[in-house]
Amino acid sequence: MNEEKRGMSMKILKTALIAAMATASVLAQTATAMSAELNILTWEGYATEGFISKFEAASGCKVTAAYVGSNDDFAAKLAAGGGVYDIITPSLDTVPMMRLAGFVAPIDTAKVEGSADIYPEFSQNGDVVAEGSTWAVPLIWGSVSLIYRPDKFASKPDSIAVLFDPANKGKISMWDDKSALYWTARYLGYDNVFDLTDEQLEAVKAKLIEQKPLIRKYWASAGELTELMANQEVFVSNAWTGLTSKDVNNLKKGFEVVEFTPKEKAEGWMDSMMLVKDTPNEECAYKFMSFMQSPDGQCGIAESTGYFPVNPKAVAGCMDEQMKKDRQVDNVEFVKSLVMWQQPKRLDKYLEVWNAVKAAP
Amino acid sequence: MTLTRRTFPGFAALFSMPFAWVLLLLVVPYGIMISVGFWTRQFPLFYPDFQFGNYAQIFSDPQYTTVILRTLKIAALVTLGALALGFPLAYFLVFTVRSAALRNLLYMSVVVPLWVSYLLRAYTWKIILGTDGALNSLLVSTGIVSAPLDIFLYNQTAMVITLVYIFVPFMVMPLFTVLDNIPRRLIEASEDLGVGPFMTFWKVIVPLSLGGVIAGSTMTFCLAFGDFVAPVLVGGPDGTMVANLLQTQFGAALNWPLGSALATLVLVIVLVLLQISSRLDTAGRVELT
Repeated sequence: MNEEKRGMSMKILKTALIAAMATASVLAQTATAMSAELNILTWEGYATEGFISKFEAASGCKVTAAYVGSNDDFAAKLAAGGGVYDIITPSLDTVPMMRLAGFVAPIDTAKVEGSADIYPEFSQNGDVVAEGSTWAVPLIWGSVSLIYRPDKFASKPDSIAVLFDPANKGKISMWDDKSALYWTARYLGYDNVFDLTDEQLEAVKAKLIEQKPLIRKYWASAGELTELMANQEVFVSNAWTGLTSKDVNNLKKGFEVVEFTPKEKAEGWMDSMMLVKDTPNEECAYKFMSFMQSPDGQCGIAESTGYFPVNPKAVAGCMDEQMKKDRQVDNVEFVKSLVMWQQPKRLDKYLEVWNAVKAAP
Repeated sequence: MTLTRRTFPGFAALFSMPFAWVLLLLVVPYGIMISVGFWTRQFPLFYPDFQFGNYAQIFSDPQYTTVILRTLKIAALVTLGALALGFPLAYFLVFTVRSAALRNLLYMSVVVPLWVSYLLRAYTWKIILGTDGALNSLLVSTGIVSAPLDIFLYNQTAMVITLVYIFVPFMVMPLFTVLDNIPRRLIEASEDLGVGPFMTFWKVIVPLSLGGVIAGSTMTFCLAFGDFVAPVLVGGPDGTMVANLLQTQFGAALNWPLGSALATLVLVIVLVLLQISSRLDTAGRVELT
């Protein structure tokens, strides 16, 4: 009996060892089969199973996605160990830096099917096409607006002031991102938010430090904000329009969150795909960029995120009229109502100010 | 003894691995870190250089001193908390629990949480301390408070509680060992001489356990000083610690030279603390002869 038991456990051990070795060799094989894989550094919701599996089936490329919490993560991740990612999807305000830092290669638009149908406002943008080359393929766009709990406010807020109101002490959240400076600058009435002077930056910093005791938590990912809202830790925050409200309301917690655009305007952003320099998976990368301009790609990502498609022709057949209206399809004019992100003139100074705010008592 | 040709292969076989380990994984990386601390940054890249600008920035900009002082404060509070909980616990295990089996079981139950992922344990405190969390449910259901309180989570208190919980085994382990090694006859002798239990504790047990107190405190302090998870999970807007600052400099801020200078400073602080601790240890040592 004892002998038998020992035999059994030896057998289990052996099986486990063999399984482990098999897994290791499979992993090693996938690592060597470079042509059939694609590593994307992107945002939550941009590589969900629903449409990625269609891409994998059609292209034979296995997708591995890693996620960032803010645009500042792209350079940090690429500087720490390039060669791990094939495609990155930074926002327009970070696109120039990727090019200047030498992290990305120019894109041959002829290899990206459907790229001609992208809104020219995006595909011909001065940061997308620079130095005579194309550096990015627009993917999706949207806005950053405010989100709040109507049941906790007597009247509907209409201004960024709600984030700085002592009445909401301990129930405010803000994105842990340099864009906190843009919001504060608009609140203070500055209209040059991407080119603030030293005095203006000092004022913004002072205002943000003054706001700190009112803040419950800075959120670092969409998932964290969803959790903060769902667990009733905070009642108001800035949020990626579409995503957080959808996720929180889907949890059916017995309350609702609602988005609104403050009178100081919401922010607009556009994320695009960039090709990491010297990627061994260029073929899969181009296949992916083409797929993301197809109906499956554009409708897939629009559905999983709540954001707006960049390719109206691709979504013509896969969205109903109501959704087209909600997602501003054929209404790229909406861009003009937003403060579209640009790379701040003095990006490092902005980062320094934001870090000083976070370090302050 | 000098190395002769006959013993060299044996010597090399025995020590080349640890030597290579120390060289490749400690000496070289520290050398790189210290030298990058003198580099220059030209956003978004950085260049080899030899200048003290990064150190000047650390000492002139109050944000860095603020964070370092805050980190020292949190680490000190965590150490005190762990000692306040760990000492009575270790004392109870060694002197009060009579059955060896029970003592081992209790000791294991203190150590066993170390087998569970650190992240998971820290995250659990979020569930306990949150507005909709376990503690608030208890307080509301027992009628102690009428509405959930939000004072438990996302502040420095939550960070201290979480870190004390996580690091308390590192305090209990050395304390248990020193207390367990105190010869019982010394305590009996003290009692035979008519000294009361409190004075026996104060004059016999405490001096003999100082080595464990210092070892446990040093370990807890250094672990808490370098923590970056608690501020992210349970800390609030005023919770940034020095390790988070390092993370930011190597991450979002993309300023490796400044980050390296800061890391070098942290290394110096920890080395000074270790030096102090080893001095205290030597000074407090009691000869058991």
